[in-house]
Amino acid sequence: MSSGTSKIVPLADLAARITDGSSMALGGSFLHRGPFALVRELIRQGRKELEVIKQSPGYDIDILCRAGALARARAGIVAMEGNFGLAPWYRKTVEKGEIRLEEHACATLTAGLRASAFGVPFMPCGGIHGSDLPALNGWRQIEDPYGTGESVYAIPKITPDFAVILANEVSEEGDVRVYGTSHWDRIMSRSAKRVLIVAEKIAPSASFRDQPELTLVPHFLVEAISVVENAGWPGSCWPHYEVDYPAVEAYMNEAESVLKAHLDAAPEAREAAHA
Amino acid sequence: MREWSGFSFIVTNLARFVRPNEITFSGVNSALPMLACLLAKRAYDFDFTYINVAGGVDPRPSKVPISSSDPVLAEGSRSIFSNEDFYDLCTRGQMDLCFLGAAQVDGLGRTNVSVIGDWHAPKVRLPGGGGGAVMLPTARRAVTWRTEHSKRTLVETLDFVTASGGMHGVVTPIAVFTKRDGRLVLSSWHPQASLDEVRARTGFSFEADGAEPSAWPSEAEASGLSAIDADGSFERDAAIKLR
Repeated sequence: MSSGTSKIVPLADLAARITDGSSMALGGSFLHRGPFALVRELIRQGRKELEVIKQSPGYDIDILCRAGALARARAGIVAMEGNFGLAPWYRKTVEKGEIRLEEHACATLTAGLRASAFGVPFMPCGGIHGSDLPALNGWRQIEDPYGTGESVYAIPKITPDFAVILANEVSEEGDVRVYGTSHWDRIMSRSAKRVLIVAEKIAPSASFRDQPELTLVPHFLVEAISVVENAGWPGSCWPHYEVDYPAVEAYMNEAESVLKAHLDAAPEAREAAHA
Repeated sequence: MREWSGFSFIVTNLARFVRPNEITFSGVNSALPMLACLLAKRAYDFDFTYINVAGGVDPRPSKVPISSSDPVLAEGSRSIFSNEDFYDLCTRGQMDLCFLGAAQVDGLGRTNVSVIGDWHAPKVRLPGGGGGAVMLPTARRAVTWRTEHSKRTLVETLDFVTASGGMHGVVTPIAVFTKRDGRLVLSSWHPQASLDEVRARTGFSFEADGAEPSAWPSEAEASGLSAIDADGSFERDAAIKLR
């Protein structure tokens, strides 16, 4: 991949790369800096049998469950957060056995991603002792081969088909800049087979050379980018915008018409309608 | 008679677990611990390092967010100490105090945040433990809270052990438990409740020698909490009842 080639594609093209049955590590946490416009576009395109891999999904996993687009999930904690509590559609689909959940602690999921990023088959993870999670997931305990007598759980490698991250700013060539916490986006970008980016804005390439330490993901790891303003709606994208709580509240309404109305009200849909 | 709301009781007693010169962490889905950390910063005349899931390190947030993972909690931060960083800090044994959520707590201070009923055929699928399974056994002290004090939240037997290792402290609207010799013991009860009431509403058995009514909020605690929740919206949203 040449560094001079633009990687910017329309959102519909970005979503089309994620085929039925794909696993996706989704960036951000709960309602904050998630690539939600891409998640909604997958629903509009009728994608099925997807898998979400994310330490703390919420709105993203919930709307995929609501649309019947999800088959599997690997997650540490799932909630809408704020005052909204549990993610209701996710909860219902798990209770009915309609999706297969692999329950993690956030750090065990990170350990699996680290194994993939480090090019090794498993990664030791601290803690976990006494929890029912290892038996549930078949995680093996191994003794320190160097004889300290300490034993740790070995978490098997997790390699998502895709990492999808919402960036504050990108260069046309695909360098990714994130402000504030990077959540788990960095390890996701190093562990997935392919990295797709949704970005709020394009910044001049020269600005990345001026402050390279702000670049979370360099262009050569990135396959394609879509630039969508307010792509994290109804969540936040610091410092551009905060959570749109009335929109989340409207989404929580259980009426059948709500999903379509919500998808139609999303920034990327309104943008497309105007184009 | 003086009144002490369940909301104030929980936030104040969570704040009282914060100790000088330590590292204290609050996470996702944790509005009450977030408020407790902000309260401790205002009310107590000592230094401690407050880190949070938004990456904040002793932040100076311009407002108190509804979401305890809101990026506002990294405003004015001295660093962005992100998720992998604070988990690693904890597993290597340097996290002094962390606040972790729970749906059920047993007498050993273990938690269930996974499921009500059988894991494979859940009656209620709960959020999951997030940091719990890794942080509870590795943090120096972990503290949890329950907004409902009942036999279905404080149980003899957990439906599922999400996290073991044992809470150092548990705060409810009417009681404060702390760990002694590997079991939770009652440390104090709400001055408008009683030892008998705590026993009647707790599913696990516990010792209570040395327990007494909790100290009323100090002036600094009361005015600190009023300043943090100036319009009372957190108290209203939390909707915590003593009984």
